[in-house]
Amino acid sequence: MNKPVLRVLDVWKSYGELEVLKGISFDVEEREVKVIFGPSGSGKSTLLRCINLLDPPDKGLIYLRGENLTVPGVDLNMMRTRIGMVFQQFNLFSHLKAIDNVSIALQRVKGFTKEEARKKAYDALERVKMSNWADHYPAQLSGGQQQRVGIARALAMEPDVVLFDEPTSALDPELIGEVLQVMLDIAKSGTTMIVVTHEMGFARAVASEMIFIDDGVISERGTPDHFFKSPESERVKNFLHKLDILYGGYEKLLKE
Amino acid sequence: MINQGSQGLILDFLNVLEYWDHILAGFLSTMWLYIWALVLGFILGLFLALLRQYGGRILSRISSAYIEVIRGTPLLVQLFLIYFAPYSINALLKAENIPTIPIGGWNFYVILRLWDKNVVFIFLNHQVLIGILVLGLNSAAYQAEYFRGSLMSVGSGQLLAAQSLGFSKIGGIRHIVLPQALRRVIPAWSNEAVYLPKYTVVVFYIGVVELFAQAHYIVTETFLSLPTYLIIAVVFLITITIISKGLDVLYSRKRIPGL
Repeated sequence: MNKPVLRVLDVWKSYGELEVLKGISFDVEEREVKVIFGPSGSGKSTLLRCINLLDPPDKGLIYLRGENLTVPGVDLNMMRTRIGMVFQQFNLFSHLKAIDNVSIALQRVKGFTKEEARKKAYDALERVKMSNWADHYPAQLSGGQQQRVGIARALAMEPDVVLFDEPTSALDPELIGEVLQVMLDIAKSGTTMIVVTHEMGFARAVASEMIFIDDGVISERGTPDHFFKSPESERVKNFLHKLDILYGGYEKLLKE
Repeated sequence: MINQGSQGLILDFLNVLEYWDHILAGFLSTMWLYIWALVLGFILGLFLALLRQYGGRILSRISSAYIEVIRGTPLLVQLFLIYFAPYSINALLKAENIPTIPIGGWNFYVILRLWDKNVVFIFLNHQVLIGILVLGLNSAAYQAEYFRGSLMSVGSGQLLAAQSLGFSKIGGIRHIVLPQALRRVIPAWSNEAVYLPKYTVVVFYIGVVELFAQAHYIVTETFLSLPTYLIIAVVFLITITIISKGLDVLYSRKRIPGL
């Protein structure tokens, strides 16, 4: 067996009195797409920020390809170049054109020359079908286009794993499709991903495993088939039912 | 003013304008003080704002304390404190029979020969140095608050995204946050840029021969106070209009497209 790309071991996190994560553990293997879902406030976004230590966990261990990130003396800046992150609010650098958003870290952090960085950035924009928009500033792009640039920015660093923090939930409904299509493409090309999302269609199509987090713990996990055919707990059934209604299954609402 | 009416008033103005060499020397001195104070205030103010915003508990409190003390006390008091401090120290040293610090007595100046007049521009002496220092230290506190406002307006998501790409905190501030904050600060910061030339007049009280001091001199020579101070006011008005328009142009040139 190969070492997992990422190993999350018994992660705990609280803000003051509020316990957000209460012992989360899972492994992510090479080329795996892990979908994390669950009610809002259950700690999903916190979990992602714990993984790249932007918000270090109180307790627990994070291993990236066997290296422990949660011990003192680790070069976290270097480690973070190997963990991509895509944000709910895109967080594109608003003073930079799309191409520069993607190339700046290649140049300033990874030390590529300006030409090399631009070349790689252009290739990454190509992958998300945004190369025609390379010279536009974020405020000149739609939300869906901004998020695709955000994905390109993460991919360009050639990370070991990419974390997606509800990448489509700030988007207008008609813009969600283009972002999901890009995510499907990169998932199929073998990118290791952890995706926090409520897009069950996406999960069904590419998730290798789904993890249901409720109240700071993993309350159920399994394949998409498991969740859509025979989920165990009432809590999950309820949650999926609500999502179903939200995404067009309103006939069920009328029947109730 | 018995015989004159409006014609007399024009003559009074012309009379004052005979002293154009003094007005020019004063203007040069005022601008000189202004530019150095603004630059010193900019560098120190930016530093204070970064410390206050990102410096952690101790450094941010030191920065806040500095800003509050400066903003809470009159500029003239600050000027006198710093100007007289060396003299007070010398008095103490003298009492203890310790050699005193030499103060003043040195001048760097240029004389510009224009037509039939000599324009004397003192660019550095004890008084000018203290004047620039106090104005700069004072302006820093005000500029720091403008910078802090614009740093806060950039939003934490930008630095978070930079760090997620492997930037250090300082690298993210330098390459991502600051370029945005410095653009955004221009409209608010232009307040300080147009206040400061007028504040420079306080250094008149420690003997810097700037525009206001020259006006004073012209009045004692001619007794024409109304035209003199009107001319001085117009010189300030024109200068400040140019600064303000210049900053407007800078802001629109540096604007981020689409925002």
